[in-house]
Amino acid sequence: MSKTTITANGQTKNLSLEPRRLLADVLREDFRLSGVHIGCAHGACGACTVHVDGVPRLSCLTFAVQCDGAEINTVESLGGDDAHHLLQRAFREEHGLQCGYCTPGFLMTMAPYVEEMAAQDRMPEDAEIRHAMSGNICRCTGYQSIVAAVRLAITQRRNGESTQ
Amino acid sequence: MNAPIPNLSKRQIGARVQRFEDTRLMSGAAKYIADITLPDMLHLSFVRSQVAHAKILEVDTSMLEDLDYPVQVFTGKDTDGLSLKANQDLPGVQRSEQPLLALDRLRFVGDPAAVVLADDPYLAEDAAELVFIDFDPLPVVATMEQALAEDTTPLFDGWTGNKFVERQMKGGDLEAARAQAAHVIRRTYRNQRQTGVPMEGRGVIADYDKGTRVLTLWSSTQMPHLVRTYICEELGLPESRIRVIAPDVGGGFGVKGQVFADEVLIAWLAIQTGRPVKWVEDRRENLIASIHARDHEHTLEAYVSAEGRLLGLKADISTDVGAYSTFPFTAGGDPGMAAKVMPGPYDFQAYEATFRALATNKCPLGTYRGVGRPSAVFSQERLMDVIAQEIGMDPIEFRLKNVVKEFPYKNVLGFTYDPGSYEESLLKMRELLAEDIKAAEASKASPDSRIGVGIACFIEQTAHGTGDFTKRRSPIETGYISARVEMSTDGEVLIGLGLQSHGQGLETTCAQVAADALGVGPQRVFVRHGDTLTSPYSVGTWGSRGGPLGGGAVHIAANKIADKLRLIAAHILQVADPATIQLDENRASVIGDPARFVPIPELARAALRNVDRLPEGMTPGLTEEFSLDGPKDGTYANAVHAAIVEIDVKTGKMKLRRFVVVEDCGTILNPMIVDGQVRGGVVQGIGSAIMEHMIYDEEGQPLTTTFADYLMPLATEMPEIDVHHIETPTPLTPLGAKGLGEGGAIGPPAAIANAVANALGVEVEATPLNAQAIWRLAKATRSEG
Amino acid sequence: MRPAPFSYHKAERLDQALALLAEFGEDARPIAGGQSLVPMMNLRLARPSHLVDINALDLDTIELRSDHLHIGALVRHERYARESLIAQHFPAFAEGVEWIGHPTIRRRGTLGGSISHADPTAELPALCVLLGAEIIAQSAEGSRRIPAAEFFISAYVTSLEAGEMVTGIDLPLPKGKSSGAFEEFAERSGDFAIISAGVTLEHDGRAITDARVVWSGVDLAPVMAERAGDLLRGKPLSAPEAEAAAQAMSAGITPLDDPMASAEFRHSLIVELTQRALTRACEKAMQAS
Ligand SMILES: Cc1cc2nc3c(=O)[nH]c(=O)nc-3n(C[C@H](O)[C@H](O)[C@H](O)COP(=O)(O)OP(=O)(O)OC[C@H]3O[C@@H](n4cnc5c(N)ncnc54)[C@H](O)[C@@H]3O)c2cc1C
Repeated sequence: MSKTTITANGQTKNLSLEPRRLLADVLREDFRLSGVHIGCAHGACGACTVHVDGVPRLSCLTFAVQCDGAEINTVESLGGDDAHHLLQRAFREEHGLQCGYCTPGFLMTMAPYVEEMAAQDRMPEDAEIRHAMSGNICRCTGYQSIVAAVRLAITQRRNGESTQ
Repeated sequence: MNAPIPNLSKRQIGARVQRFEDTRLMSGAAKYIADITLPDMLHLSFVRSQVAHAKILEVDTSMLEDLDYPVQVFTGKDTDGLSLKANQDLPGVQRSEQPLLALDRLRFVGDPAAVVLADDPYLAEDAAELVFIDFDPLPVVATMEQALAEDTTPLFDGWTGNKFVERQMKGGDLEAARAQAAHVIRRTYRNQRQTGVPMEGRGVIADYDKGTRVLTLWSSTQMPHLVRTYICEELGLPESRIRVIAPDVGGGFGVKGQVFADEVLIAWLAIQTGRPVKWVEDRRENLIASIHARDHEHTLEAYVSAEGRLLGLKADISTDVGAYSTFPFTAGGDPGMAAKVMPGPYDFQAYEATFRALATNKCPLGTYRGVGRPSAVFSQERLMDVIAQEIGMDPIEFRLKNVVKEFPYKNVLGFTYDPGSYEESLLKMRELLAEDIKAAEASKASPDSRIGVGIACFIEQTAHGTGDFTKRRSPIETGYISARVEMSTDGEVLIGLGLQSHGQGLETTCAQVAADALGVGPQRVFVRHGDTLTSPYSVGTWGSRGGPLGGGAVHIAANKIADKLRLIAAHILQVADPATIQLDENRASVIGDPARFVPIPELARAALRNVDRLPEGMTPGLTEEFSLDGPKDGTYANAVHAAIVEIDVKTGKMKLRRFVVVEDCGTILNPMIVDGQVRGGVVQGIGSAIMEHMIYDEEGQPLTTTFADYLMPLATEMPEIDVHHIETPTPLTPLGAKGLGEGGAIGPPAAIANAVANALGVEVEATPLNAQAIWRLAKATRSEG
Repeated sequence: MRPAPFSYHKAERLDQALALLAEFGEDARPIAGGQSLVPMMNLRLARPSHLVDINALDLDTIELRSDHLHIGALVRHERYARESLIAQHFPAFAEGVEWIGHPTIRRRGTLGGSISHADPTAELPALCVLLGAEIIAQSAEGSRRIPAAEFFISAYVTSLEAGEMVTGIDLPLPKGKSSGAFEEFAERSGDFAIISAGVTLEHDGRAITDARVVWSGVDLAPVMAERAGDLLRGKPLSAPEAEAAAQAMSAGITPLDDPMASAEFRHSLIVELTQRALTRACEKAMQAS
């Protein structure tokens, strides 16, 4: 067992963990953050993407013990219970989700991308947006509506709308 | 079937309403099966066969004795006598059973032979590795050819050969058609084996309450009531004491549209152990041992007149259905569907199909978006292009000449097609493709890069009712869908929907439908589904039936309540004719005199609390239920798909430049959701066409067991999908809606194959059209260049 | 799909990591990005008893050192695009690394992890071989330099010994004018390659003076085209006869054959990709001159 201190969505816990426990499992079970979804457990679908110190990371390929002292954010922290983050609103508007299983992973992958593009004040080509989400598999939407949602969010950010 | 219904205001129906389910799905608050935990829960791990075919000598669990943590283990011997039985009651069918855990034989890689239960999923997985299956190998039946061989080893005792089913369907005089034909065109087509891959795998939790003797089972399923019925029948529990809950379900696509042996097993284990038992399928299990799809081979022979009229069609259809027959659609489901739909949108009156389901040592084949239709349409629509070419006609022209134009139309098998837009959608598509066709022609001179345009024209039988299912004599038996609508004292509406919504947005569309009937905003309608306790009996969500039948049932039940509200309002407002009351904006008002109104919540209170305000003799209460059966032959949605591809002749790399859909699903309940269903289906169909492939080697070992090998469409490779609608409402369902959930996935294999053929000037006879396949096809083109 | 048990050791400094690797020998594995190791562990295809986490080590420099460019083992895949030294000196490398995986994986995966994992069609091993990299392996005993051509032995097999880890690579700087390009073929973006071909050229502004070509997907480790230099030396940049050269250098090669791609298909891709890479490398050389 390894002593590990993890902060997830602002909540800090001192945990005693078996080293093999995946960050995804610890977030789901110890922090009860069930928005972290496990789609493949081998890094190939992106459903489990969370932010570790602000950077998107696959929580199925990360051991929780590696995150000692780290700040984790999951989809629960993005726009709260009402899912009112700008990108979430754009997903709702553009029908960027159907069954919702892959959605937290897409949101956590693409929210920083939206910020990056807004910071550059640049609307990427669709091909670039698609490339940015190429590590995330969605089986329901066919992707087009997710691309549209990302474009909408970038447009709104560039127009000065806040994320919340 | 249904009386004319007033107040179809269409204010919500047809509107682009944003989905109510989105908030919880995006906030992380949704509850999928893996998110459910119960106190004192045991975690289950399967011990699965690593060989394709073998006789079990012993399942050795002795290594578990030395573990320093508690585990329980169960093998086939413990569950002896319990099995899944899925047999059609028809001649030409060989009966089979799937034991809950393999008893004496292992029939495919992934076939479970034991389970280990532990307090933690990590520990359960550790322990499962310590169980060994001793076996004697048996000859492996790895291909359809081997299943058909004289000396094949039957998968089941008492069987002759390896056919689950072999049957025929016919209509008209095929000999006469052949005799009249100026052209006889024969081809063989092949679709690969694949799987549906919902992003959430399956999972089951069971909990048995000793006190009430109620078994509660959570399952990531599309058909909770059928799971309940099967568990009742197999375990002998009273059905009233079984509750099945499908929580939020992360995609299904048909994969979760069967009752699985593991659902029965886990129910049984919860009773045996007295503790809740949980199993969450991992991705490897999902790929090798859940449900596979497609895997068809068709030989078609078409008889065509000198003028280019289709006179008749003969089909031979084989499907590799793997090791077990699935419940409730059975081993014969997929090839039977292909045989049934092969006539398609075309007008001809002579047809004969022989179809068979072959048993092999592979994962069982089950339902997956389109069921038999993507394969049938692939063959049918490839053949249409080939015929057009042979007789020197433009492929769209040829189809225009042959599609059904007058409705209702009785097809060669006796199915009646309700009105559709077969001709109109082809014409529309021709218009949309004008530029692409030019670009394709211009590219023909290029030695490096070729553009091709291909179409697929098809119909889809949707919303079919009991009449269609009884004919199959399979355990599905019936096809109605029920809804219960209840208004509470505050005027809020609760719907118990017999369907399960796993992405289709039924919480929103059904709210729209009820809102229109009841004159309340859709946000006042709460749709509950997927729980046998809160939803009336139904067969589940599959077969493109949710909109037309689920929406239809809600519509009828809600209108019964609306009728009652109008009666109460008329009484309170002292109006003689309740038909002059309209329900809108949360009020019941007198038509033409809007100042005279009663708020709907007040009416609800009258019906439920202040019942002294009710008209004399009226029974209190505001709950109505309706079970809506589909029309016997269903209602036929139609579509034309077009793929525009660009091929790098040297490498075989194919780019999808564009994909165009013209579709007709009758009344559109919510255009945003319709487009989403179509696009999502198309991308799955593209996966089928070009990359998704469950590969087995000659020993029956699956080779594509992770997402590194089993390739699915990513955002980067998928085209823009341009969707156009034609709305031909059907008279056969209450709202005029036809089904559309599966249609998107049906056309792409044919459209893409036709586009490749068009680009390269070759015949395309098989999918997947991956780079290697296209590179092979481009050989001739390369040597020209 | 969860890993078997192991002990976890977080190394703060290189000597600590090396001591841990020495102590546990064959039973230990370094973990860097975890983007290859953890999938294998989750599938229980790898079950190290000890994981030595090297992410905190100071091994992420990219710098010019006299006649070579040094890249630390912990440099993550996404970084190369921002390093002008790479584009300037190693155009084939700059192009090749663009083909690795997907953004989230690229942000985490490392050079040391990729070459130590030695997937047969990974880009970095092929690029190391192409550019004549020296791989720096350290153990508690000391350090040695392994030429890339000797480092990659087979699929997932390298010449690293128990107790050793990669601390970085040195890429020798091209001596004169040079150019390069990289082509890859995979079914989808971000997938491991079916075939890739990398090319570097030295030239005098008009003609090729030397050339190297590497392929992956031919064998279980990257393969250098033996006669690339001989076939291309002296060819004008404006007309390098790339197709003939690609044909000639791949004649007699029998690539891997599996259900995803037959040997014949792979062979045809080798010719085509090599030719394309050569042509582009020449075009770039002419533009620069
Ligand atoms: C979906 C997916 C797609 C991918 N696509 C590609 C692709 O197209 N091309 C590609 O090249 N890669 C691809 N990868 C792999 C990715 O690039 C990995 O990051 C890389 O191969 C390994 O780097 P790592 O730092 O993550 O290593 P780890 O996973 O941490 O380690 C890999 C192996 O190297 C060992 N190791 C790590 N560091 C050292 C060291 N310094 N010295 C000695 N041994 C060490 C480990 O013990 C382990 O055996 C993909 C991965 C995924 C999950």
